[in-house]
Amino acid sequence: WNADESAVEKQRIHVRPATLQDAAPAALHFLPCEVLASRPAPVERFFSPAIRQGADGLQVSFRGRSMRGEEVSVPSGLAGFVMVAEEKEEGLIGKQDFGDSENNGEEQEQEPLERGFDRFMGATGSFSSFTVWGLETVPGPDAKVRGALAWPTLAAAIHAQVPED
Amino acid sequence: MDLSELDKDNTGRCRLSSPVPAVCRKEPCVLGVDEAGRGPVLGPMVYAICYCPQSRLADLEALKVADSKTLSENERERLFSKMEEDRDFVGWALDVLSPNLISTSMLGRVKYNLNSLSHDTASGLIQYALDQGVNVTQVFVDTVGLPETYQERLQQRFPDVTVTVKAKADALYPVVSAASICAKVARDQAVKSWQFVEKVQDLDTDYGSGYPNDPKTKAWLRKHVEPVFGFPQFVRFSWRTAQAILEKEAEGVMWEDSAAEEQEGSRKITSYFQSEGLQARPPHRYFQERGLESATAL
Repeated sequence: WNADESAVEKQRIHVRPATLQDAAPAALHFLPCEVLASRPAPVERFFSPAIRQGADGLQVSFRGRSMRGEEVSVPSGLAGFVMVAEEKEEGLIGKQDFGDSENNGEEQEQEPLERGFDRFMGATGSFSSFTVWGLETVPGPDAKVRGALAWPTLAAAIHAQVPED
Repeated sequence: MDLSELDKDNTGRCRLSSPVPAVCRKEPCVLGVDEAGRGPVLGPMVYAICYCPQSRLADLEALKVADSKTLSENERERLFSKMEEDRDFVGWALDVLSPNLISTSMLGRVKYNLNSLSHDTASGLIQYALDQGVNVTQVFVDTVGLPETYQERLQQRFPDVTVTVKAKADALYPVVSAASICAKVARDQAVKSWQFVEKVQDLDTDYGSGYPNDPKTKAWLRKHVEPVFGFPQFVRFSWRTAQAILEKEAEGVMWEDSAAEEQEGSRKITSYFQSEGLQARPPHRYFQERGLESATAL
């Protein structure tokens, strides 16, 4: 879809490659609700110790509501990272460090960075599986997130070069 | 009372019981049902049954059991240990319903209210006594809700016993008084020795009475709010007092079943006059069904 692209504010994202190697394994929980805030939460003190292995999967409660959960693996060939964006101006201060040559520089001459357009992000954690929670029932094979995980493989197939016969 | 089973896992339901006295399998027995800790916003609710042969009812009365509310904590403890001494003819069983079980029942997609939970727990305990071989012929229950409908339901479920449901049964029938003492002793002990599932920092165990109108209890609730998780599981999230404090002092939370209602609300009338052309085309159904969106900015 390209009709309205001009109306959308775009950004160029740079990943700090070193952070991907250093990212420590993280325990992730995907909840069937939205917490209307973005802030650190004491998961290790309040949530993890309350998880029980029940007959129909993992169980726990959040805000007095019952949840059932299961472990979902990141598809093979992919790796999971928790990414955190740096403050808008951070990457622009000091020397303009474009990833240490990871940039397989074929397509781009290193363009100068632009305020507001170039953003940097780094990994704070890595994961190869995470826990998906459903409200009162196990999310099961039809869970949205399972479908979402199938997209990268399909995308790769769609965009792969088709050999000419 | 040995609550070690509860200490192992207090996130659900926990049943404790005395051995069944041999005489209760032979002789016709009276059985009383009562509860403790229905009102408090903190801690478990305990349901208890107590039973003895009809022929020994006078001996139970001789213990001077009375409505647990009229007794001091020490007197209740003393009476409970006397009942333990009389274990050759007095038996009891109880269900500890954790605050987490109460919250998750009442806040379920399909609401399971406290009255239904109470009725089902009471029936479960009577059934348990029958399954253990207690020769129950008469049941006395302190009412929850309307005594008439409650009695009818229990009578239907247990057609072979005579069921009497009454308000203040705990003051009228010694076997119900005895049940109320079991329940209250268990509830008090459970609250006092509650094992918090969470690693709560600066935990204060001065809860007050646990009743929502007690200023000490309210102060405790306010002190222990966690902005994301709300409260420890020791708190009944379904109580209005708890919810009111969370609304003010914790982050908002939208659940998938609450969000659906709002999204289907009517469109603003002016929206029909806006040019459709300005709106971006929604992504293909494949992406919508998987909750995927393209991101163009952080």
